[in-house]
Amino acid sequence: MNTPLLQEILGNASRTDTNLDGSSSFKAQTLNFGLLDEYSKREIRRAILTAVAVPGYQVPFGSREMPVARGWGSGGLQISLAIVGPDDVVKVIDQGDDEGVNAVNLRRLIVSSTGIPESTTPEDSTLIQTRHRIPEDPLDARHTLVLQVPVPEPLRGVERDMRELARMHAEADYARMWVSLYEDKVRNGVITRTTGYPCLVNSRYVIATTPIPRWDIPRLHQSEFLSLFGAGREKRIYAVPPHTDVEPLTFEDVPFEVEKTPGAKCRNCASNNTFLVEVLATDVRQSYWVCSDSDWCRRHRELSDSSSQGLMT
Amino acid sequence: MSTNWALKIESLGKIHGIPDLRSLEDTGPEKGTAKSALTGSIVAAWDVSFEVAPGEALGVIGESGSGKSTVMRCIAGDQGSTTGAVRLRTVHDGHMNVLDLDPSSRRHLRVADLSVVYQDPAEGLRLNVTAGGNIAEALTAAGWRHFGRIRDRAAELLDRTEVPLSRMDDLVGTFSGGMRQRVQLAKALANEPPVILLDEPTTGLDASIAAGVLDLIRNLLEETGVAAVVVSHDFAVIEMLTTRCVVMNHGRIVESGLTDRLLEDPHHPYSQKLVGAARA
Amino acid sequence: MGYAAARGGLQAIEAAEKLVARERILGQSSWLDTDQIIEKLRLAVDRVMSEGGLWDEQLAASALRQAEGDPIEAAHLLRSYRSTLPRIAYSTPIDADDMVVLRRIVPAFRNPPGPQLLGRTTDYTGRLLHTEDDDTQRTNAEKMAAYIQENVTNFPDNDDDKNHDRSSRSPRRLLELLRDLDSVVDRRRSDDPEPFDITRHPARPPASRSARLATMARAETGALVNVWYRNILGPDGYLHEITLGEVRHGRLPVRMLHPLTGDEITVSFVRVTEVEAIEDLNGIDEDRGRFDVGYGLCFGHNEKKAIAMANLDIACERDQGRSFLEQSILLTTDGLDASGFLEHLKLPHYVTFRSMMERKVAIRQHQEASKNLESK
Repeated sequence: MNTPLLQEILGNASRTDTNLDGSSSFKAQTLNFGLLDEYSKREIRRAILTAVAVPGYQVPFGSREMPVARGWGSGGLQISLAIVGPDDVVKVIDQGDDEGVNAVNLRRLIVSSTGIPESTTPEDSTLIQTRHRIPEDPLDARHTLVLQVPVPEPLRGVERDMRELARMHAEADYARMWVSLYEDKVRNGVITRTTGYPCLVNSRYVIATTPIPRWDIPRLHQSEFLSLFGAGREKRIYAVPPHTDVEPLTFEDVPFEVEKTPGAKCRNCASNNTFLVEVLATDVRQSYWVCSDSDWCRRHRELSDSSSQGLMT
Repeated sequence: MSTNWALKIESLGKIHGIPDLRSLEDTGPEKGTAKSALTGSIVAAWDVSFEVAPGEALGVIGESGSGKSTVMRCIAGDQGSTTGAVRLRTVHDGHMNVLDLDPSSRRHLRVADLSVVYQDPAEGLRLNVTAGGNIAEALTAAGWRHFGRIRDRAAELLDRTEVPLSRMDDLVGTFSGGMRQRVQLAKALANEPPVILLDEPTTGLDASIAAGVLDLIRNLLEETGVAAVVVSHDFAVIEMLTTRCVVMNHGRIVESGLTDRLLEDPHHPYSQKLVGAARA
Repeated sequence: MGYAAARGGLQAIEAAEKLVARERILGQSSWLDTDQIIEKLRLAVDRVMSEGGLWDEQLAASALRQAEGDPIEAAHLLRSYRSTLPRIAYSTPIDADDMVVLRRIVPAFRNPPGPQLLGRTTDYTGRLLHTEDDDTQRTNAEKMAAYIQENVTNFPDNDDDKNHDRSSRSPRRLLELLRDLDSVVDRRRSDDPEPFDITRHPARPPASRSARLATMARAETGALVNVWYRNILGPDGYLHEITLGEVRHGRLPVRMLHPLTGDEITVSFVRVTEVEAIEDLNGIDEDRGRFDVGYGLCFGHNEKKAIAMANLDIACERDQGRSFLEQSILLTTDGLDASGFLEHLKLPHYVTFRSMMERKVAIRQHQEASKNLESK
């Protein structure tokens, strides 16, 4: 039995499982740094530059098929692989968790195809690819945040025709988006938009904020870091450059509300000012809350552990 | 004519098919057709000119196929035109031919410079949105961002168009035809446009309902001082709403003048026929 | 804590991978050769090449084996492999008239110029499942092979065109004859624009015809058949008269210019299915005295796909952007897109769900507050 087959059966964490399998008639693949060929990377970087130059505008690009399925971060992965360099340190999270299954898979692909180091702490990272969250730690100019986008079109809820959608963005004609918020408030008494809250970028384009929770939205406004949004299936890239206005669409007299559950705090680190997710117990009364940012939670727990130990000695 | 106009139309023309000017030779009222045998093109409207002063309502009357709706759609921007000029006092003080604007700027006129009330409310309203929401669309397009003030303004407009406030938060799709038309009027007036176009606003409504809507329109036109163009096939509508009117036949204006005078003493045979039919 | 455990995600993934590989590779049966897959599961291989957008039978067979027979997954493997390859050259435009046909039928005429060549097909064979046990089937097959070897000298050899004159293997297409009769609308254009490259630019409505055709050529077969069927019988569809002019399966040379000599050289052959669908025109703004023709072509032998494609090509042309047909074709027929998005629902969504739960509570609180207000 040849080596790739053996590897496949026995498993090997450091190997990328992108090669087609093993009959000896195939030459072993030599993969380019960052998997994509250089022409593709250049094309994606051009789209990124356009996106940065026109904040919030959805730049069409010739999205490549990746070794992960469309809808599983193929857009974010293309951005990461197009901009990653040998000096980068990568962090990948899904739902805020470095150990989420898809985060693990994406991190393996990035690390194994580039050989760059990985980290779970934002402090040590330069490139952070994420699905559905922004890390709790403050990010700065060293960081590039790459967000995976399932549906990049914020107006799809009010219009289905793509020709009309293109026109609405071109003319900044967002009245119907406002109507949908108006109707929401009239019908429900509150704005019921959950994640991916529509935001106006640089007073010009409305974007879909991946689906990150409303909790994370204020972090995009006038941020120190560059945020790149990649939608592989829908073939769009858009960006929020540093120091750019990002305003959630909301009426002047209806305050924007982030997720908040009174009294909830993390069972592990006791935090009550992070984005918390509920851990359900079979007996729902036994349910509890934990931080969705698992790395932040771990570090803060260690911090509080060591300080309490300090007290004891 | 006074220079005090809010809307001015100059030699507006629309040819469907190849815009070959030879089509003009064998079309028009004298030829009895708008379709050119020479070129196969249809001269839907040609050499249409008129102006409307603030507070004035001008009627455009003709049978279906006369070109009156084409004229309205060319002014509104729903349809491209072949030649001519459309001027609005609010756009570069009337020095700009709005037909020369790019489609985007053209559409933007519909926010606050020019409103349209269509015969079919589905064209001017979203039936799956509430009455208030439909008005909110017009207001938010004009930059309104205060929920409470949008609600107040929508209520005020619905009150003015005699829509019960209890129905403000109902979907327009659940409304009767007459009620929909009132909501369409409220939406059209939301940003106090200086010009409004009404295309057969009561056609298709039951007679008693139509009378109520007509009353409302007349009052609104008087109260708001808006310049209005009323397009109709029905002399009763034109008589009730307008002071001046033009008569269209096979794409051309065949007669124009004060509505009263025209009804009393129509000169053109086609006008005589129309008036005769209305009086019968 | 399930599949997003605080630690151990990596080990779990690796265990899952091992389980797949072990069952597939170390199962009880013997190793499955790609040659075997190519020969005996020909239509599956063809489908994978077509949906994967890559002509390579060996790779497609390997992908099918790796994907445990799932054609969409196999197409994904091919396409993501393609993403790692630089594009170093372009072929010269292929002239479909260079095709050497292996099968050709013309339903529109009893005796069209050129052959009605049935070729390798089960179209006219009763669909009777072979229910004998596998050993019997194998023995029967071996007997048949031996018999043929000994007794049959003129066994039809589909792929051998040496014995046939050129006109029977490269017949004039019906469309040309209809053009001679001035019976079809002529939409050919002389400005020869570059075809739209869907691998480099996203095709979005309104798109060029080449963008639509390229999208359909790579579309998932079932999806394309469904869009076609929906266009006929769906809530927005209508039954219209379509007659197939040509259904061809054959080999086409791929040529490029030699980088040094500049001469055109044949670098490969691909098998394709090509269809021309004749549509009756009856619209008020259409030339009702003539027909119009839709075109379909895809890699491999896949008549369902090429027929659906040709029908949708002409349907889209006639639709003139009035309906959502073009958007449906461009955005909903890609197998990787649709199945990837569908399957992504399996990923953790607990952040979004938490946010939704929070709003549900907010709505209920508002409802209760207004109820209390009313009762006061």
